[in-house]
Amino acid sequence: MMGGRPTALLTAEELARSGAVGAAVEACYEALALGDREPRIHALLAHLMLEGDFYDQAIAEATKAIEIDPDCSAAYLALGLAYDRRGGMSDQSVLVWHELAEVAPDLVTAHVQLGEAFAAAAFEDDAVASWKRALELDAKEARATYNLAIASLKREGMALALPLFRQAGELDPSQDELFFTLLGVHEAPAEPIDIERVKPTREARLGAAGLALRAEDLFTAADLVRLVLDEDPDDPEALALAAYAYLKQEAANESMACALRALSLDPELPTALYCLGVVYSRRTGLNRHAARVFIALAKRAGTHALVHVLLAESLLGLQKFEAAGKSYRLGVRLDPACVRARFGLAASHLTEGRFAEAQWEIRRAAYYDTKRQGLFWRLYDEYAGAGED
Amino acid sequence: MAAEYAADLYQAFVDQDPAGAIQVVEHARASGVPQEQLFDALYAPAMGLLGGAWAAGDIDEISFTQAAVVAEQIGSFVMPPAARRDTGVTVIVGTMHRDHHSIARTIIAATLKEAGFRVNDLGVDVRPADFLERVEETGARIVIVFAEMTATARAVARVREMLATGGYDDVVILVSGGPFAAEPALAREVGANGVVPSAESALKLVARVARDRAAAEAEA
Repeated sequence: MMGGRPTALLTAEELARSGAVGAAVEACYEALALGDREPRIHALLAHLMLEGDFYDQAIAEATKAIEIDPDCSAAYLALGLAYDRRGGMSDQSVLVWHELAEVAPDLVTAHVQLGEAFAAAAFEDDAVASWKRALELDAKEARATYNLAIASLKREGMALALPLFRQAGELDPSQDELFFTLLGVHEAPAEPIDIERVKPTREARLGAAGLALRAEDLFTAADLVRLVLDEDPDDPEALALAAYAYLKQEAANESMACALRALSLDPELPTALYCLGVVYSRRTGLNRHAARVFIALAKRAGTHALVHVLLAESLLGLQKFEAAGKSYRLGVRLDPACVRARFGLAASHLTEGRFAEAQWEIRRAAYYDTKRQGLFWRLYDEYAGAGED
Repeated sequence: MAAEYAADLYQAFVDQDPAGAIQVVEHARASGVPQEQLFDALYAPAMGLLGGAWAAGDIDEISFTQAAVVAEQIGSFVMPPAARRDTGVTVIVGTMHRDHHSIARTIIAATLKEAGFRVNDLGVDVRPADFLERVEETGARIVIVFAEMTATARAVARVREMLATGGYDDVVILVSGGPFAAEPALAREVGANGVVPSAESALKLVARVARDRAAAEAEA
């Protein structure tokens, strides 16, 4: 079925990868004019149609790809996503995700999606079983945990669901991202930090400590912070870095001690507020404290979606569901791709009996999550590679 | 005074003396610091002192960790009370007969429970007579009836009739579900006293009903 890739297909792929959707579609049709029995073209076309929200066309193309080759995993992905986004096709969606889980049994997302399709069809027990299967494959799968949190909310209420939302949030890489954005460290260093080569100035040491933290080299970061504190124990920024390093080592009390000291020196330091808020939010009974801290953080760094999400989670713990919904909505507005905000907003909708809106947010979360993972291209390249071997 | 207690608590942390730390907390409580303020008045300042001592090198890394362990051990003594106090108000909740929708009921029931209301959850597919029976058993004066279909929403009128038959005209019936949100007049038609569109509104409405009733009883 598959040999080398025809030139027209290669052109279409290149255009699609570069985001030139319209031109890529045209190239796909040119490739189809040369021969319409190539599943990759149909799968790619389905993906492109999905990008443009043309669900029926995406369904038609993905179906053709599967008809030609029932092992075309990328086509199953496109087909399942098209069914989910079109809505009202949960029966078909369940079948497709089931097929994908068969074709690619180790593909965690297939089980997560299968669970969401089951949940949309009101088969809650099967849904939970699918998400648990996803977590067996990858214990750090945030979306499966978010879904379990939603399931727990439906069955047991917010008090039991909230810890799961927070657990999922901590698996979500966006939380660490927030700290580093607040710190102004956007990239991990290309090479490990050599403490001997760091200039003996406060700024250089703190900058290098931030980079070391980003690279999860906690010991180097701790040594650099210590050098700064030895010169000035009242340096709030160094204390905030120490608080984060302790937080990453699950040493919550040490983190709290450093963050509180930092905030006694600079009450508005965003990095210290972040650490203290996270420590408080992990403790039962401190939701009010966490909310207070995250409100202060929102005042200082309100352009970051996750700040509002963290605040919203504390508000959920205080049963301030309407205010939480408002914060989640702000989070989604600031970053429509924020999966955590979407699931939180879904939870907020559920407390208001707005089930359809909740389902919609979960579907949007799935869309952004699969897009972020670049899942289509991973499956497509694996499939194309296998055909060319 | 609170600052002194915080300093004493910090010292107990550094001395790795959990018993001493508990004693400080007990003294503070005995001197009038309420439980909900112990964390802010004592614990957080003591932790700030601990962070400062570590930063200044007054205590080394190991002592810092050991002090943090003591802080962990006494954490539960200073936490604000987690559960809200029992309000003493019983609320009966249930989904109407022939209706098996349970999500909204579960979320609202759990929210009320967490807020200290005594929730009696009858589950799904509840006949009007079962609501009456439970009102008689518990003496509850607030009932929340859930219905997600038009037919079952209209059938809430039977609950009102049943309660009236039993002599419970004074029971407040609140309703929740899609049909009531879509057609606000429906609640009045079926004899309900109010609509609960969300978990937070349930909290507010039930608290208001309970307050009004208590005020009326006090007047009487």
